[in-house]
Amino acid sequence: MEFNQDNKIFFTRLRILQVVILIVFIGFSLRVWQITVARYAEYAELAERNQLRRINVLAPRGLLLDREGRILADNVNSFSLVIYRNKSDCVECTLDDLCRELDFDRSEFSAILEENKSVPSFRPVTLSERLTMQQVSWVLSRYREYPELDITEAPIRHYRYSTLASHVIGYVGRISPQELKTPSYPNPKPGHHVGKDGIEKTYNTRLMGRDGLRTVLVDSVGRIQKELRFKEPRKGSDITLSIDLDLQRIAEESLGERSGAIVALDPVSGEILALASTPGFDPNNFSAGISRKKWEDLIQDPGKPLLNRAISSVFSPGSIFKPMLAAAGLESGIREENTPAFCGGAITLYGRPFRCTSSHGEVRLKEAIQHSCNIYFYLLGQELGIDRIAEYSRKFGLGSPTGIDLPNEVSGLVPTREWKRQALGEPWYAGETISVAIGQGRINATPIQLARAIGIIATGKIPPLHILKTTGPITENSQVGDAEFAPEHLEAVRKAMWSVVNEWGTGWRAMVPGFDVCGKTGTAQLIGREVREKLTDEAKERFTHNAWFTGFAPLENPEIVVTVIVQSGGGGSTGAAPLAGRLLKTYYQKSRGIEPEPVNQEPGNEESVPEPAAASAMENTEGTQDQ
Amino acid sequence: MSFRKAVNQLDFLLIVSALLLVMTGLLAAYSLSLGDGESSLYMRQLSRVGIAFFICIFFLYIDYEILTYYSAVFYAFLLILLLGVLLFGTEINGSRSWLALGEFRMQPSEPGKIVFILFFAGMLGQLKKDYLSYAKMAQCTALGLLPVGLILLQGDLGTAVMYLPILAGMLWMSGVRIKVMLIILLCLLLVAPAGWMMLKDYQKLRIKTVLNPELDPQGIGYQTRQSLIAMGSGGFFGKGIGQGLHARLGFVPESHTDFIFTLLVEETGFLGALFVLTLYLIMLWRLLEISRNSRNRSGLLITTGVICFFFSHLIINIGMATGILPAIGIPLPLLSYGGSSLMASAAALGLAINVNIRRFANT
Repeated sequence: MEFNQDNKIFFTRLRILQVVILIVFIGFSLRVWQITVARYAEYAELAERNQLRRINVLAPRGLLLDREGRILADNVNSFSLVIYRNKSDCVECTLDDLCRELDFDRSEFSAILEENKSVPSFRPVTLSERLTMQQVSWVLSRYREYPELDITEAPIRHYRYSTLASHVIGYVGRISPQELKTPSYPNPKPGHHVGKDGIEKTYNTRLMGRDGLRTVLVDSVGRIQKELRFKEPRKGSDITLSIDLDLQRIAEESLGERSGAIVALDPVSGEILALASTPGFDPNNFSAGISRKKWEDLIQDPGKPLLNRAISSVFSPGSIFKPMLAAAGLESGIREENTPAFCGGAITLYGRPFRCTSSHGEVRLKEAIQHSCNIYFYLLGQELGIDRIAEYSRKFGLGSPTGIDLPNEVSGLVPTREWKRQALGEPWYAGETISVAIGQGRINATPIQLARAIGIIATGKIPPLHILKTTGPITENSQVGDAEFAPEHLEAVRKAMWSVVNEWGTGWRAMVPGFDVCGKTGTAQLIGREVREKLTDEAKERFTHNAWFTGFAPLENPEIVVTVIVQSGGGGSTGAAPLAGRLLKTYYQKSRGIEPEPVNQEPGNEESVPEPAAASAMENTEGTQDQ
Repeated sequence: MSFRKAVNQLDFLLIVSALLLVMTGLLAAYSLSLGDGESSLYMRQLSRVGIAFFICIFFLYIDYEILTYYSAVFYAFLLILLLGVLLFGTEINGSRSWLALGEFRMQPSEPGKIVFILFFAGMLGQLKKDYLSYAKMAQCTALGLLPVGLILLQGDLGTAVMYLPILAGMLWMSGVRIKVMLIILLCLLLVAPAGWMMLKDYQKLRIKTVLNPELDPQGIGYQTRQSLIAMGSGGFFGKGIGQGLHARLGFVPESHTDFIFTLLVEETGFLGALFVLTLYLIMLWRLLEISRNSRNRSGLLITTGVICFFFSHLIINIGMATGILPAIGIPLPLLSYGGSSLMASAAALGLAINVNIRRFANT
């Protein structure tokens, strides 16, 4: 061909082009070989990891039941709003939009983001739990607009009776970063709800169950394409409490608006039948993540609603310490049952006047307890001395925690010379012993300790306190076994306590006909008399007496111990004994099958719970969840 | 020229390999529609193949001499279209390179490549000397850079860049001296830093991430990295047609257009890649043969342009998918889903066949 022969340069250059093409193709083939064959294993694993996502499925917590199987706490399905921060260019804008459209609290969101700053941005952060149907559908219908938002479904705790038994139950909340580091929670994962207080905390491990796992195929924006495997979550174990819902309700109703605590227990088995502390709180507020505002309101409330006064507060026992001291007097041999003392209404000891409630004349143990005569116990205390008082107090379990299965129990104080020297660096003054003898001064105790002490008087055995209803023995509790008091000595104290209620003693208002209630009232001064008299009327109102009543019933084969404290409740006879009486009466009627008090079986507080979106809401949407 | 004679002159190897590539592209579109449960992707591409067939026929039916004769008119028309796009164009994916006429949308810069080839074949094909004069070269370069500049103004760097290899290849084949080539190369190197400054930040980042893919695993480097993961997980035999989860689930963006090679390798593995590469190689080999046997200089230049058109697209696209070159959105000719690119490829093939069947005709 003429044209090509004339132009040798074309030939050469076409050749060069040909060689270049060949080299490039060989190069590409080698490159593809390198990717697909040489590095196959590495890329295959990366691909797998890219496409599969393992989604933790939270296990529902076990139910909490009362001793008769009534459900106190269960779970409701709730929808949570989560955000994937890596999928948004402007997380703040999205949050602004959410707050504008759905009325969320913007500062709350900011705080949550701040809290999760160290969490990798591809991990979802829960913004809000317990969404309403409206909120769920708003978010789901804007899937394309806000790919960073997602709705997850999780069981959250629901307390059927809201505030009822709140201190026993405690509450749950999202596990905190600090808790994640502690070994006290099994396999903790961010987002877990764990017990923060009460039974929820004590038996958290048992209640939590085991999370399930969904293995899903996701696309590049994380939308679920297909479910590959699903390991069912295993619900936590149900826990039956020894609490009797009826008694608990009566106890809380009796206390009403007043601050105080009521403990009712079975002195033989050690089961707590009711444990009330007022004011209470609604643990439902915590289930869905408590707002900062509500939390601050709770902890700044002067009434300290989160405080379990029955186990975490110490009080001067006042006169309800007297039965214990009386037993100590007999046990030490200083007093016989019939050893008399003379009460003239006041006595001067160590140069200071000590008063009695009235002038009782000649009193023996029985009358001393029946009419709460101070003089008898001043003298007894003086003879025993502080260290022996302490010794016997400890035998009644004061000064150390009862070991009840609730968190944050405090031990109270049984003072001794040694203690005062070490703690305050001062010697013990003899006059202080006189105050301690009537349960004032340095000595203090928790209501639960006093209830147990009365249990010891009632049965001669140390009741192993617990709220978990079990048939087997409770092992972890501290002192269990026989009390170190002679039965006849306790018998004498019991008889005296019987007369307090049944022979027109100070505790007659706790009387339940047919039920042989034994008890002791107490009126504990909050501050010294001298100081009190300088106060204004208003201050007097505030700093008046704590009213106590503690007792058990019946006299023979006791079944129940009740301890009541009403803070600033005035005299124990009027301020506390009627409450105990009401509780004992309820118990008596219930246990004897006498026309039970009408009790609402169903809670009437549905409105207070924000409407949780029903699971069916998901079916109409894009089907991202399939549970 | 009779029809029978024309058929006898057809280069069947070229046509068969091209058809196989188009069918592979259809298979990929089909595979993608499998996952969506809707066949629209596949059906649309099928109808485009039909149109492309007629475009191919058109470009081989009219004697290329006639086409080159009128190429200056086409060139002028192209410039007007590009200006029109610049003024009235529709913006898609950040570049204003689309002209919308009601439902119908087109990207003039794609068929522009064909006009480009014809125009320079017309200009350079009339020359008789072995070596290209400086004046002619300067003239051609200026005329070549004019549409390129317009496309750059549209913001479509990728397409604009693809004009340059065609221009360079055709100039080279017209006899630019080696000395001159070296000087130009040197100038380019000197201009490179200035060019670097002119690039947008994201474009700079793309180039940087090729050098270091770990630089930005979530952003730009993400695409390349996901492409490698998808291909690598295909292994030797691939995951099977319709099983390319990685590309399908959107980890690899644009898996039906720019990253079609990735999808292919994921589903058919090294073997599939080898198959496709071999088809392209056969195609280019036949085109070189056609070029060598062409009747005259303009025929040779047309095929050279076509070779450069295909080859440069291959290099950029496969280079990008395999993580050798920066990510530039360039379709893979004949394989990628999409109309404009397929039409341009069909026209280019039509021109090559045109040159081939008329190789014995009298000058």
